[in-house]
Amino acid sequence: MMKKYALYPGCVMSTEQYAYELSLRAVLPKLDIELVGLNGFSCCGEPLKSVNQMLTLALSARNLAIAEKEKLDVFAPCPVCHLAFSECKKIVDSDPAMNEKVNAFLKDEELHYMGTAEVVTTLDLLHDIVGVETITKLVKKPLKEMKVATHYGCHLIRPTEIGRVDDAENPQKMETILKAIGAEPMDYPEKLDCCGGLLTANHPESALTKTGQKLQKVQEQNFDAFIDICPWCHRQYDSKQKKAGETVAAKLEVPVLYLTQLLGLSFGIPKDKLGLDLNLSPVNKLAMVGEG
Amino acid sequence: MDRKIGVFVCHCGINIASTVDVNTLVNYAKTLDGVVVSKDYKYMCSDVGATLIKDAIKKHKLDGVVIACCSPRMHEHTFRGVVEAGGINAFNLEIANVREQCSWAHEDKTRATEKAKALVRGAVAKAKLLESLETSKIDVNPDALVIGGGIAGIQSALDLAEEGHKVYLVEQRPTIGGRMAQLDKTFPTLDCSGCILTPKMMEVANHPNIELLTYAEVTGIEGSIGNYTVTVNKKARYVDMDKCTGCGDCVEACRLKGRITSEFDEGMGKRSAIYLSFPQAVPLKCTIDKDHCLMLTRGKCGTGPLCVDACEAGAIDFKQKDKAVELNVGAIVVTTGYDIMDPSTLHEYGYARSNDVITTMQMERLINSSGPTGGEIVRPSTGEKPKSITYVLCVGSRDETACAWCCRIGCMSALKQVYLLKEKCGDDVEINVCYTDIRSFGKGYEEFYRKIRGMNTNFFRGRPSEVRNAGVHLTIDIFDTITNKLFEISTDLVVLVPALIPRTNADELARTLRVSTSADGFFLEAHPKLRPMDTFTGGIFIAGCCQGPKDIQDSVAQASGAAARAATILSKKELEAEPMVSFVEEELCSGCSSCIAVCAYNAIDLVKREDGKSHAKVNEALCMGCGACVGSCPSGAMQQKGFKDKQLIPMVDETISS
Repeated sequence: MMKKYALYPGCVMSTEQYAYELSLRAVLPKLDIELVGLNGFSCCGEPLKSVNQMLTLALSARNLAIAEKEKLDVFAPCPVCHLAFSECKKIVDSDPAMNEKVNAFLKDEELHYMGTAEVVTTLDLLHDIVGVETITKLVKKPLKEMKVATHYGCHLIRPTEIGRVDDAENPQKMETILKAIGAEPMDYPEKLDCCGGLLTANHPESALTKTGQKLQKVQEQNFDAFIDICPWCHRQYDSKQKKAGETVAAKLEVPVLYLTQLLGLSFGIPKDKLGLDLNLSPVNKLAMVGEG
Repeated sequence: MDRKIGVFVCHCGINIASTVDVNTLVNYAKTLDGVVVSKDYKYMCSDVGATLIKDAIKKHKLDGVVIACCSPRMHEHTFRGVVEAGGINAFNLEIANVREQCSWAHEDKTRATEKAKALVRGAVAKAKLLESLETSKIDVNPDALVIGGGIAGIQSALDLAEEGHKVYLVEQRPTIGGRMAQLDKTFPTLDCSGCILTPKMMEVANHPNIELLTYAEVTGIEGSIGNYTVTVNKKARYVDMDKCTGCGDCVEACRLKGRITSEFDEGMGKRSAIYLSFPQAVPLKCTIDKDHCLMLTRGKCGTGPLCVDACEAGAIDFKQKDKAVELNVGAIVVTTGYDIMDPSTLHEYGYARSNDVITTMQMERLINSSGPTGGEIVRPSTGEKPKSITYVLCVGSRDETACAWCCRIGCMSALKQVYLLKEKCGDDVEINVCYTDIRSFGKGYEEFYRKIRGMNTNFFRGRPSEVRNAGVHLTIDIFDTITNKLFEISTDLVVLVPALIPRTNADELARTLRVSTSADGFFLEAHPKLRPMDTFTGGIFIAGCCQGPKDIQDSVAQASGAAARAATILSKKELEAEPMVSFVEEELCSGCSSCIAVCAYNAIDLVKREDGKSHAKVNEALCMGCGACVGSCPSGAMQQKGFKDKQLIPMVDETISS
């Protein structure tokens, strides 16, 4: 049965990380997930959290209220947006005073936040809702002998108290999915290291150093590909890979793909449908990308 | 004639008076029917307060007393004495709990005062209906049971035995000695752990008043204070205790020698399927591990079991079965100790990822000269000497996501090991210590800490974010909050100091013994300050780490304390029994037996009347006055003295009327 979600695109995916959206739109229908576009979404609020927490909550609740009006659950592919929404639900759903305060902000737009919409992001949608069994059945081209490194990104797994998608210290859901499509995810010591992305505004050099250091380690350990699932992280590892390499004085040539791109390849979806031509890292090094 | 009631309101300093308007309450009580005197005092439990009550009973010829104060758990016993001293039966007392159930729970003074009025109103209604009760006497069995044969249990057993009581000491492992037997040296005096422990173990073994039941577990308990019947399951050792001389020939002969992970060595060494935990084990008798022994798992051991051939005494007996024994005792001391948290649940510390990440207890076995490496410090992965060792303190401790509490021994045990390692390896080995705070609170501890700080050791204040494998080494990321710098430590061996947690079977034992546990799972003391070794169950006492983490000196002190507390019961010939027991109105009882089903103390029997009908009968010596039978009785035939329906219902009516 088709399950419908309101797609909350977020700012990064819809303004530059088109490959993520393309791959989602190619893969999810095969898994019986329908994405519905809604009018009126605003910023999720997360970038404002250090400045004005109330505004963050109000913005999150506003977006959720728009989906609730259409009786839809929300799919936020960006883990940063997903964190903002999850935190909003956690706070506003359990605190009647805060609920009242937040709804006072929404009144002018004739919106009302009720807390009825579920919020999911890519990883829990694939792992918990669709499930690996369904994914396994769709695999047409298993990724044989592909040694992959996973990168979860911090917002997806932290902070635990808010209720995140996977364990903060030992996340394994990406590994489970990757094994299901035939790849060989391997543990590596730097797995949980930061992508550096959030340092970009204030310490651009430090940001690229973090990115470069992690990719360097991954390259040294002879991984075939580096798989991420967050548009912020992907921007660092894929879009800025060359610059990151210059910063740490290393020649980096690590193919970086969204989990959904790799999933699409294993499902036999043509690579142009998955936005692979938009990846700036050397994804053509991968046999199945190079050939097709 | 109407009964004359006096009401006495306690301020409890400001505990009650700051939230309940005491003046209003006192004046209100005066208006209640039957109340002839109403007074307040700052501390009703003081001598002056007691005199005030006694004098009022005499002056106003009171029949009943209501005291509005703290919980009856605190002072009911005290006030019964006061009422008795005033010249009336002690049970003509009703307590209105206006502290725990009112002032402490509320903030609004007006509404709290209204609630206090309702509580007093109800208490007065009940006080008018109270009856005098007489206490009965029960005989006391002078024997004692100590559960758990670690240092705390050993101390309790020896103290009680020295006082002349027969003591049963039950230990679930094949030998007594507990955790202390695994240690090399003890902090801060660096006494050799074995040297100070083994004489005590021998004393237990040789004491005429102590009967040792090792490799045995308590499975059931009946009765109450003064008269407990305890069922103990003696697990089959498959070795005849009378014949075995502890020579160890069978251990050497065993086909599985060196193949089974040794619990005593915390997995750092191997043993045989038939084993002695350590050379000074008490009793010095071998035990067969039935989960590994080939004869017991497969029924066949090569061409024949080699242990049988090796044993000159002919002690091996594969046909042995578990055996249940029953013990009758007057009091019980529980000293079951602690478990060590499994650090693999905290993925970031790498315990599951690397063999070179070990725990303090594993290091203790490496340091110990009779340990698996003969006292050599080696990296488990390579067997080579480490050039750098790093301690990580508070692993799981003081961590809201794991164990919120402090383990109380972690800092000192790590510092002790640093000293021992420096003694063994000198400055060839670099030692790092990552700590949260160093808690060196005991006598001589701070001095010991200073000594270690003066040695060539690196201290980092902070919690490592991760321990990761880096080729042949391990690296630790740590933010040092003293220098405000992020460090990456490269090291060969990481020693984690894990949290102390309740025994995995603590919950089960608590249910068997009917004692409470606190939120953290350790056994709960009756009062943290004033009854630290008592439980809420009469005649059952706790000591050592089963009550909460503590070091050896505190465990031993508490164990002696618990023994002394148990002796206050065991030394009496008889005890006064609580008179608030259940009884049956026989003409109302249909003999349905629902009360028998709910009674946890086996205190109710069904008896046949001459007319052929049956009715329930309460054995007052066994009844604990819990009231479960009263609640279950469909006809109201079961009643409890002091809590009869005709006393409680008017109390409820009055409380809720306004």
